[in-house]
Amino acid sequence: MFLRNYWYVAATDSEIGRKPFARTILGEPIVLFRTEGGAPVAFEDRCAHRHLPLSMGKLVGDRLQCHYHGLQYDRTGRCVRIPGQDQIPPDAKVKAYPVVERYHWLWIWMGDPALADPARITDFHWLDDADWGAKSSYLYVKSNWQLIVDNLLDLTHLAFVHESTIGNAALAEHATVKVTRAPNNVVVTRWIIDQPAPPTFVKVGGFTSNVDRWQIIDFTPPAFLRLDVGATPTGTGAPQGKRVGGITMRNLNAITPETEKTAHYFWAQAHDFDVKNAGLTQKIFEQIETAFHEDVAVFTAQQRSLDAIPNPPQVDINADTGVIQARRILDRLHTQEQAALHATAAE
Amino acid sequence: MKFRVELVWKDDEDNAAESIYLTSDGRVILQGATVSPADRQALALPLDGDLISVDKRLIRAIKDML
Repeated sequence: MFLRNYWYVAATDSEIGRKPFARTILGEPIVLFRTEGGAPVAFEDRCAHRHLPLSMGKLVGDRLQCHYHGLQYDRTGRCVRIPGQDQIPPDAKVKAYPVVERYHWLWIWMGDPALADPARITDFHWLDDADWGAKSSYLYVKSNWQLIVDNLLDLTHLAFVHESTIGNAALAEHATVKVTRAPNNVVVTRWIIDQPAPPTFVKVGGFTSNVDRWQIIDFTPPAFLRLDVGATPTGTGAPQGKRVGGITMRNLNAITPETEKTAHYFWAQAHDFDVKNAGLTQKIFEQIETAFHEDVAVFTAQQRSLDAIPNPPQVDINADTGVIQARRILDRLHTQEQAALHATAAE
Repeated sequence: MKFRVELVWKDDEDNAAESIYLTSDGRVILQGATVSPADRQALALPLDGDLISVDKRLIRAIKDML
């Protein structure tokens, strides 16, 4: 199940240059490149002539030239040159996708181009905000994208999957959890009061006694999860909004489905303390990266189980509340999108 | 402290319903107002038993979320 009328992260800004770059998104092969002026361009990755992936071709100025017979496409996807032929058939064109560069990511619109409003791009300003230190990365995941969304909305798993970094038992046994469900948004707020800090927080925050820890998870469809996480020495007022003497970070996640069983996972970690300390940014990143690789192993194994026995019955527990609300939102949006598509097709 | 979940539903205008609590012993606790003896009398409600009055938004929340 995919939602199409949304912006997705297609690539990091550094992945795309003057060499055609292939990536499949929502099951559609896409080629990305930059014009000589640096503007990002995205086409379907298939020549209109004999279907060779255009990503095997090369750039001639701002034109993408097919590797097979040399057809050239301008930045709108229209074929503008066929070697040895003056007449260019009107159907000689490839689909071009709207692309916007923002927050060091290239965003692609996979649905109706008429609806592609850049104002709808989800806010990830922490990635290029001078008040924050941040580092981002990419993971290729062999699982359905919704398994990643589920994982981020239920952080009780930190106690078991990440006990050497960001987790400890307090997360599962001593959390108060509030799930706020709006029409197109879920916010899961978790407070763990007067409990030991997990290993990563001790390393980067220097905590020597118990902390008040928060995890505020903001889910925006289709698959954007922005986590406000941190801790302060216990009793210093963080639950009342007074964050002093501790650490605040953002864990930022943008998941782009590749297929129903694979996903592109763009993520970043940002911090608002000692923001110019690149060594600290790297140290925090490495701690979280370790945890994320642990997550990827879980997603991959889950997908293997689901492949072995598709649609098995599953048991829900209280901690799944945010997950269930997000899935309901996604199901409703998918139903609405499909209904609109069918209505348009019937006109 | 036991793990418990508070569930809050918001409508299109960002108005929040009263809370629903999912507790570790498997109960669902609704936030509402106790029905007073005077109300029971005036509204022909049972005089015994625990009754609570809930906002209609909470009913939407239950239908939508549980």
